[in-house]
Amino acid sequence: MNQTLRSLAAHILPPALTLIGALLFWEFWVQWRDIAIIVVPPPSAVLERFLDDPDFFRHHGGWTLYEATLGLLLGSSFALALAIAMAHSRLTERALFPLAIIIKVTPIVAVAPVLVIMFGFGTTPKILVAALFSFFPMLVNAMTGFRDVNPGALEFLRSLRASPWQLFWKLRLPSALPYLFAALKVTYPLALIGAVVAEWFTGDRGLGLVIFVANANLDTPTLFAAVGVLALTGVTLNVLLYLTERRLLFWHETIRTIR
Amino acid sequence: MANVRYHVSLYSLTHVFQDSRRALTALTDVALDVAWGQFLTVIGPSGCGKSTLLRIIGGLLRPSEGEVLIDGAAPVESQRRRDIGFVFQDPALLPWRTVLSNVRLPLEIDHGARDRTAPSPEELLELTGLADFHSYYPHELSGGMQQRVAIARALAFDPSLLLMDEPFGALDEITRSAMRYELLRIWSAGGGAPSGTEGRPTRRPHKTVVFVTHSIPEAIALSDRVVVLSPRPGTVRAAIDIELPRPRTQEMERTAPFLDYADQLRNLLKEAPA
Repeated sequence: MNQTLRSLAAHILPPALTLIGALLFWEFWVQWRDIAIIVVPPPSAVLERFLDDPDFFRHHGGWTLYEATLGLLLGSSFALALAIAMAHSRLTERALFPLAIIIKVTPIVAVAPVLVIMFGFGTTPKILVAALFSFFPMLVNAMTGFRDVNPGALEFLRSLRASPWQLFWKLRLPSALPYLFAALKVTYPLALIGAVVAEWFTGDRGLGLVIFVANANLDTPTLFAAVGVLALTGVTLNVLLYLTERRLLFWHETIRTIR
Repeated sequence: MANVRYHVSLYSLTHVFQDSRRALTALTDVALDVAWGQFLTVIGPSGCGKSTLLRIIGGLLRPSEGEVLIDGAAPVESQRRRDIGFVFQDPALLPWRTVLSNVRLPLEIDHGARDRTAPSPEELLELTGLADFHSYYPHELSGGMQQRVAIARALAFDPSLLLMDEPFGALDEITRSAMRYELLRIWSAGGGAPSGTEGRPTRRPHKTVVFVTHSIPEAIALSDRVVVLSPRPGTVRAAIDIELPRPRTQEMERTAPFLDYADQLRNLLKEAPA
């Protein structure tokens, strides 16, 4: 118990102190230079705004998280299906990969308004933008992961005449897990960004809307509070992913070497 | 039935690796017979096609020319009957599975193939001295222990033919020489599959083993017969019967007959520069 407490302190204390230090400096700087609140609000004003109406942020943040999560699931499913097809056949890879590149290089921010016109003002275009943002990193990582199998293990399973299906479930998928987690740590925050960007253009809810409106009203405390909530959401998601990864990938070098 | 006097027969095997730019002849005209229950070692310099030969016997690779018969049929037949066990230099265990679960893996690939006489995964762990480690993960084991797991895994279907590709090549010298006698112990404990077909002994004393190595003492200590391959393209240069009594012991490695065999093999390997 004492041990866990100590290791918790060792992990949380340094970043917490850094953060508190940065916030104090920011607060002090704004007060000392007497910077107008519409230019940069002091952290105290941002915190005050948040505590004033936490339900407001919870409501909008909840929607953004919901859209980002559905978008992530959608984008990842497509990426995984495509990666499985491409990992098994060079021909499918040649046929499909250019399409994936097109999705990657297209400025999705520019496409977002078009999606709104196509799919209306509901949650659909936001989910789609989040899906587009998270698609490509997952695809590339999954492709590499499905191919990065121990050649000896592959040969052994082949000598047993394992079916492609068995090879996938017993070897390729578990081998790819480290890659999939690495991808998720990138794509979940990207999906959040995607949802926020889509909310800018339309809609009646979500942190993107909050930021958009606050910006128009020069309401910097609200704007910063919304950004802060987004940042905190991203950090929380990453911590959750990290903890899941540690439980699931106990056997992998990347986890073993940090102990 | 073409030739069931021998367990494995190779007829003028030639193998060429071909890609768009060049062709590499790995083996030329290899002919070889392996008797039932024999421990046969193939020795040769690096790159002489030893591993290629083993993969062809195991049906993982089709030879460019020539024929392989296992128990009078193509290797694929034996593979289908799960009558071949493979051990590679890299134990290639699945790191997310425990020792027991790794040994069970072949049975998951084919539920039906294990007949009732085949030892259970638990018995195999007992046989290979891993009983206390069944719930360990591969990364918690030493290289020698990992290779024991690979051997237990290869025995899951109780195959009558065991193909071993430098299984102790990555181990340190001390572990390596200990593993030789471990393997012999396992080999003498696990009998060949019973069979009543005419022309074959009804109960063979041992599994047939084809073992690939480039260690001379390893070859002598283990084998009934050592086949020397020439440098690439590999072909059979000589075959020597090792008439040392069994069970073999580590002490025998210092006796005169053993050292004579070692000299003989060393000369055969030296004849043409690699």
